[in-house]
Formats: sequence, structure tokens, C-alpha cells
Amino acid sequence: MSRLLAGVAAGAILCAWAGHAAAAELPGKFEGVTVDAKLIGGQQYEALYARIAEWERATGAKVNVLSKKNHFELDKEIKSDIATGNITWCVGSNHSSFAPQYPDVYTDLSALIPKEEIEGFVPTNIEASTLGGKLVMLPRAQFDVSALYYQKSLYADEAKKQAFKEKYGYELAPPDTWQQVADQAAFFSNPPDFYGTQFAGKEEAINGRFYEMLVAEGGEYLDADGKPAFNSEAGVRALDWFVNLYKAKAVPAGTTNYLWDDLGQGFASGTIAVNLDWPGWASFFNDPKSSKIAGNVGVKVQPAGSSGKHTGWSGHHGFSVTESCANKEAAASLIWFLTNEDSQKLEASAGPLPTRTAVWEWAINEAQNDAYKKEVLSAFQQAAQHAFPVPQTPSWIEISNAVYPELQAAILGDKTSKQALDDAAAKATQILEDAGEL
Amino acid sequence: MNENAKARLAGNLLSLAHKLGLFIAMAIICLPGLWIVLASFRPTVEIMAKPPVWIPQDLSLDAYVAMFSGVGQGGIPVIDYFSNSLIVSITSTVISLAIGMAGGYAFARFRFRAKSSIFLGLMLTRTVPGIALSLPLFFVYSKLGIIDTHFGLILAYVALNVPFTIWLIDGFFRQVPKDLAEAAQIDGCTRWQAFWQVEFPLAGPGIASAGIFAFLTSWNEFALASQLTRSINSKTLPVGLLDYTAEFTIDWRGMCALAVVMIIPALVLTFIVQKHLVSGLTSGAVKG
Amino acid sequence: MGALKRLRPSTPFLLLLPAIVVLAAVVVVPLLLSFYSSFTPFRLTQPASLFNFVGFRNYGRILTDVEFWTAFGRTVLLLTVALNAEMLLGLGLAMLVEKATAGQRLLRTIMMFPMMFSPILVGFQFKFMFNDNIGLINNALQSLGLTDQAIPWLIDGTLAFWAIVVAEVWSSTSIFAILILAGLLAMPKEPIEAARVDGCTPWQTFRYVTWPFVMPFAYIAMTIRSLDVARAYDIVKIMTDGGPAKRTELLWTLISRTAYADARMGLANAMAYFAIFLSILFTVYFFRKLAAARTQIGAEW
Repeated sequence: MSRLLAGVAAGAILCAWAGHAAAAELPGKFEGVTVDAKLIGGQQYEALYARIAEWERATGAKVNVLSKKNHFELDKEIKSDIATGNITWCVGSNHSSFAPQYPDVYTDLSALIPKEEIEGFVPTNIEASTLGGKLVMLPRAQFDVSALYYQKSLYADEAKKQAFKEKYGYELAPPDTWQQVADQAAFFSNPPDFYGTQFAGKEEAINGRFYEMLVAEGGEYLDADGKPAFNSEAGVRALDWFVNLYKAKAVPAGTTNYLWDDLGQGFASGTIAVNLDWPGWASFFNDPKSSKIAGNVGVKVQPAGSSGKHTGWSGHHGFSVTESCANKEAAASLIWFLTNEDSQKLEASAGPLPTRTAVWEWAINEAQNDAYKKEVLSAFQQAAQHAFPVPQTPSWIEISNAVYPELQAAILGDKTSKQALDDAAAKATQILEDAGEL
Repeated sequence: MNENAKARLAGNLLSLAHKLGLFIAMAIICLPGLWIVLASFRPTVEIMAKPPVWIPQDLSLDAYVAMFSGVGQGGIPVIDYFSNSLIVSITSTVISLAIGMAGGYAFARFRFRAKSSIFLGLMLTRTVPGIALSLPLFFVYSKLGIIDTHFGLILAYVALNVPFTIWLIDGFFRQVPKDLAEAAQIDGCTRWQAFWQVEFPLAGPGIASAGIFAFLTSWNEFALASQLTRSINSKTLPVGLLDYTAEFTIDWRGMCALAVVMIIPALVLTFIVQKHLVSGLTSGAVKG
Repeated sequence: MGALKRLRPSTPFLLLLPAIVVLAAVVVVPLLLSFYSSFTPFRLTQPASLFNFVGFRNYGRILTDVEFWTAFGRTVLLLTVALNAEMLLGLGLAMLVEKATAGQRLLRTIMMFPMMFSPILVGFQFKFMFNDNIGLINNALQSLGLTDQAIPWLIDGTLAFWAIVVAEVWSSTSIFAILILAGLLAMPKEPIEAARVDGCTPWQTFRYVTWPFVMPFAYIAMTIRSLDVARAYDIVKIMTDGGPAKRTELLWTLISRTAYADARMGLANAMAYFAIFLSILFTVYFFRKLAAARTQIGAEW
């Protein structure tokens, strides 16, 4: 049934396109062509692939899905392919945080996709998909930036409001700055039953959180020459924010071992007051079957740091075409199809954030009758305006792996913030030197 | 109280202590596993609750319904994964048992040069951690074109299990007195017949337990499978577990439900096969 | 023995041939490739670096790398603690089950229950159980009034080490139990009866009759586990991934992060050879123990 609907929808968009000048080119005719593809798997991502059949019907080409894997497993697989010289396929799922690692594998899409099509995407997403002047991926409707989730009831409690004002001298309201988050977290915390906030504590997650806090404090991760610059004063301020929360026991003691799953489950258990988290959890938090705080969840644009800048570490999924692909036009047509308005509507209707301006409007319009969804979408739409990708170096993940143990050491009190950042910067510099980037 | 009653009391106490110990041990073994099974029937809000919900309030089959309801509705291609797992595990178990029996028999019944070194050498192939193996193996496999095929995975699992099966079966063949087979040969059996009719049944438990091990190892193996499989052509259940993880979210209940689907065949097989652990192993038979 | 000697000398080699062929194809050939790459600065994302021979540079780096050797030491400690705990518990479990008069089939099946869980699942399960905020264990301790703290199981270096040991022991004790049980079942009954007739205490019977007989099985299990203990990688990867601040870093988490996430396969392979060396030491050690135990019960070697 859903296939049928998708088919009708695809037919409709084909008709709609017939009137435009570009329509002659997309999706085009590729009779007898087979496109080999490696796609990200998992239930959140696979609904879209039902539309591949539509594209096959429209173009006469065939898609041969070589693999469907989890994000990290796919990354391993693509690296293995690069290492063994096996880039024999055409289309691959990609991610803005991983893309800089494979600089030579993917082709420049701006030569293959009409300009007016590219203009339909949110400009910051296109910017984050462009590496060294090459548009390496077309973003799909799987855009991630974090906004602030909070328990509404905490901010409606008169006794709490009064106590807070007496202590901190300003009104208790959902926070606008990270300083306020720190105050409120300390205020709400009542370990071991209740905590003010929490943060992801390991791997790329903590490094990403530190990175965005650094930007919000006015610092930069790599300077204009590509040298690590995060051991600045702004860096120390950024890291101290995490350290002080941990010291004040305003976050669960286990937070340095938390990854996204622990954070989501923790907030849903109703034991966390405010939580910076990804859009993927929005419906989970408000579903009585999965969350204790369903109906009590507020969402707000992520707070700003002392420099006035907001945090906004972001990433998005997309599709790329390999440089070695025999029929790039067919491959480009496929990835255009998987990221066009109808495809994005299909994905966005299940919750993930779109990357096309028109689909943002459509999604917010769709949510008119659902107050929570509307709140979520408008918060994330604002959040998206502050979004920025990770530094575009192929060594980002490797640097993350070297830096995060140092960040943890500072948070746990093994080192001072300055010492930890200096050590981390030394390691990052060595990595960049080894990679020939410095 | 006379001596007899005392002894009986002591015996009763001992048997009570034994039952209690057994119960506690079994409880510890079962609980973490049962918690997973239970989690598949409970809404997430109960699993990750604080304060905890000890007694399930709301059991449902939702996770199972979702699993089978097709891509896009929370489903995963569980039938494909299941049949891949079954084919790969059973075939590789049978092959490694055959190879293991040949090898184990050779070690248990023959003297030959460099026996200890060869034996040790075979075992040491197992010391290679998957990580040192996975990329070169991938390289070789992709040159041969057997990535993402049942054959490739079966081959890898046979290699994984062979040292283990040889060793176990060797140990069990040693337990079978040599004179039994020799007596059979004197009675007119060929060596081949003597093996199948006398030694094989007696070493049955060893072969059965080697078989269980080999099956369970293949059934649960993840590291190699994640490297050597790619699509529904050959993806096995453990790799399929990751379908429930997205970049920032995880469907723990769905994972638990898939885990139950994985456990049931393993449980049934173990239950059936373990009886061969005893058969042919009465002390009388060994006494001969 | 006479009958055996008349056989063609090549028979055992013929019997062993399939095993040797399979192992050579799947283990030895790839191993040679990875051995070569450990002498290069091979990066997955730069295939050409495979042909840049740097001699022992990777090994040199590792020798002076404090983090590596800390992880190495921790791995040895984990192996020692986990294997011993597993053997003792496995022995106890096997004896309990062997003594049971009813429900043997069921008991044996339950005994093997943990082996049926994929290590990934075990990792998640124990991570959630040891979660300091919403985990089962802290919840239980707090409900029972044993503590009013949120114990940071996976944060404190020592606690996290034990949490990993618990998960590892839970998932692997079965292997010891089933092998030792098989040994107990294969054991002839007369020596025990003879010991009882001679007036031995249960402890003496165990110590001097049962244990020597079961020991080879225990050592087999021990050796197999020490070969196979890298399986614990999946568990550790999910529970702590070596963190926080490298407090639970083990060889396997270090190696696999270096190999794939950092894409420095050459260096990772060099590290892997140290891990292999460690495994070989453990294996040879138990192997010799096994041989000694076998001689003791008079089995031919």
C-alpha cells in the first residue's frame, strides 16, 4: 500500500516537473544501466529505499544494493574498499562528519546536478556538503542539530521559581545561555534521584559537544592554518563548563561513559531536568510507551555561550557518487531522486529534519494541529540557523579519538582543563603532521 | 538420636544445601538473560524506569509485530537474516565437525613426527585476534569475489571452529580405550567400521559438545560477519541487531526482540543435542 | 599398538590435511599480509602507503608508548582474573549440576543459556544494568536501602574493571561448566567408589580422584578461552570502549580504534602482534599444564 502511494506521489512529481526546463534531464532515461549502491541501513533510514523502485520504473535503470549497514560499519566498509582498491560501485551513503575522510573517492556533484536543483536545499547544508570547492554529497532529510529539551513542569512550579530567584537573582525560565543551564542544573539536581542535566561523555560525542561549546565561547578548534587552537582561553572556559557541572554533581556520575542511547533513555526516565539532544528523540520523549515525561516535554533553541554565539554542532546524511562510477549521470539522477521534495517529505513525515527549504515549510505546515510537533519543528528550525559542521579535515575522527580521553581526564579531575587541552593539542598536532596536513 | 537418623539428617541437609545452591546458581545465570527476554515484551518506559518497575505491568508483542511488518514500519528483513544464520551456522558446524573428527582422531590414535608442534600450531591459529585478520581476509575475499556470500562466511567459521573441535574431539577419543577398537578389528571389522561402530558412539558426547560450541560460535559471531557480509544475501542475525541502532538513537526493545528470535533456535538445538552428551556414556560402556 | 604401526605413515597427515588447508587459507595467508603491513605506515584511506616500507618504526613507537603498555598490563590482569573466576565458578556449577538427580536436561540447557547471547547484546545489557542513574543494579541497591549514592560503576577505574569482569564471567563461565561437566560424566565410577570404600572424605575424594581426572578438561577450557578471550572485545567496546579517560583501555579496544576509526592499519597490526604474542604465552602455558595433567592421569601423549 505504501509503495502504491509512493508510486502515485512519484508519478505526480514527474508530471509537475514536466513543465520545467530541467525536467528533460531529471530523472532522465537510463535504459539497461545498473547502478551499484551502498546504503546506510537500519529502520530509521530504510523507508526511503522503497522509492528506488519508482526511480527504476521512471528511468529504466536498475539499482543493485550491495550493502546496507549501520553508519559506523559502513564507514569501516568504505575504508576497507579504499584500502583494497575496490571502489567499483557508484552510489554511497555519506555523512558530513565522515565525508572529509574520503577526499578522492567522490565526484563533484555540481557538474552533474542542475544549479536550480541545488538551490532548493538549505544553503548551510550545501555548504557543509562542499569540501574544497567540491559538492561531494546531496543531503537527504536526515539532518541533525541539537536543541534543548526540558521538563516543562519544573518551570511552572511557583515554589521553585521563588527559591531560584532568591538564589540566583533572575527569573527561572527555560535557559537562553549555557551559564543559565549551569545554574539551573545545579539548582535542580538532587542526586542520586534527579540531575540537572547530562552530556555525552565519550568518543566523537564529547569531542563534538566540546567543539560546539568552544565555538559558543568564541574559540576555534583549528585556526586558519589548520593548526589545533582549542587550548585557548575560550577552550578552557568551554571545558570548565563540563568540569564544573561534573564537580557540582549536577550531572549523573556516569555521564563520561554515556553515549546517545544512555542520554535518551535517561531523559525519558524523567530523572534529568534539561537535556541537549538530537531531533531523532523528539517523538520518543513524548510517547507514553517509551517515556515517563510524555506530555511534559518542552523544546527550545539551544542556548548561547559567553560570546553570544549559539552551539550548533551538526551533521547530515546524504548520498554521493564515486569518481570511478561508469555512468555518473544515472547515479546522479538516483541520488537526486532520493533527495527530492517527495523523498524528503517521506522521510520528514516520520520525524527527521529535512534539508530542503520547501520541505521545512511543508513539515511545519503539516504540524499545525499537533502542538508538540510544532514546538519541536520550530525549535529545530531555529536551531538549524546556528548549525555548523565539524572542521573539514580528513583527520577529524582520528583527532576526536586522541582528544576525548583528555577531555574525560579533565572532567573526572585527573588533570586541569588547561593541562588536558595542551596535551590534547599536542596529540592533535602530531596527528595532523603525520597525515601531512601541517 | 541414633547414628542412622543422624546420617539421614545430615544427608537431607546436604541435599537441601545442594538444591539451594543449584537454584541460586541457575537464578544468577538466568536473570540477565531473562531480563533481555522480558524487555522485548515491555514498553521502554518500564525498562528504563526510575524508580524501577520490578513487576511487568504492560506486556505486549508490539516489538515482534513491528519486526515483521516490513521496512519502513519498524521492520527489518528478519526472515532473510534468520535463514542466512541458519544456513551458515549449520553448514559450518557440520564441516568443522567432519574436519575436527578426522584431525582429532589423528591426534588421539596415531604417533607421528612433530605431533606436539603441529597440534600447538593448529591451536595457535586461534590466537590471531579478529582485528588483525579482518582486513587482510577482506582483501583476499574480495579478490576471490566471495564477499557477501554464504560460502565466504562458512569458510571463515570453519577455520574459526576447527582448532577447537579438533582439540575437544581429540580429548574425547583419548577417553575411549584403544583396545575396544582393536578388539572389534580382531572380530573382523575394518578399521573404518570399527571407528563408526565402536569409537564414534563412545566419543559421541565429545562430538556433541564440540558441535554445540561450533554452532553457538557461528550463530553469535559478529566481528568477522560484520566485515564479510554486506546485504541480505548473507547478513546474519548478530549483524542484523545493528539495524536497531541509528546514528543517535537505539531501539533497545527491538534489539531484545530480535535477541529472543536468535536465542530460541539455539536453545532448542542445545536442548536436543545435549542428551547425546550422556548417551553411550554409561560407565558400563566405558568399562567395556 | 602393534596394529597401528602397520598402517601407512601418511594416514594421520591425510586426516589432518583438511584442517591444515582451511586454516592456511583463512588464517595464515591473511596473517602474512597483515604481518607485512605492520612494517608500513599503512592508512586505510591512503592505499599507496602500503608500499612505503618503514622497518620497525611502528614497533619502536609501541615499545615506548606508555598508554599501550598500560593497556597491555590491564589486559593481562583481566585475563588472569576472568579466567580463574570462570574456572572456579564453572567447576562449582558443573559439580552442582552433575549431582542433581532430576531435571538434568533442563539444568544443562540453562547452564548454557548465557552462551546463546551475542556478545553485543551482553555488552548493552550490562551497560544498562551498570548505568549509574537508571541502571538495574543501582536501582536495586537504592531500593533495598543499601546505598543512597549513585555508584558510578562504569566510571571509577576499579569498579569498571570489575563490571567488565562480571559481564565477561557471566557470558563465558558456561564454557568451563559444560566442558568440566563432560569430563565428570566421562569419568569412570569405580575409583570414586573405591575411594569411598577406603574411607576417604568427600574433599579427599575430590582432591585426589575427581580433580586429577577433570583437570585436563579444565585446562582445555582454559586454553580455549585464553585463545578466544578477544571475544570479550564486543562486550568491552559497548560497555566502556576503554574509557573514561582510558581507565579501562584494553589491547583490543585500542587496536580496533587505531585500525578503523583512526584508519592506521599498519600501526594497529603491529600492536596486534603484541596481542598475539600475549595469547601465545597464555596458550603455551596452559598447554603445558594440560600435558602435565594428562601424564598424571596416565593418558598417552
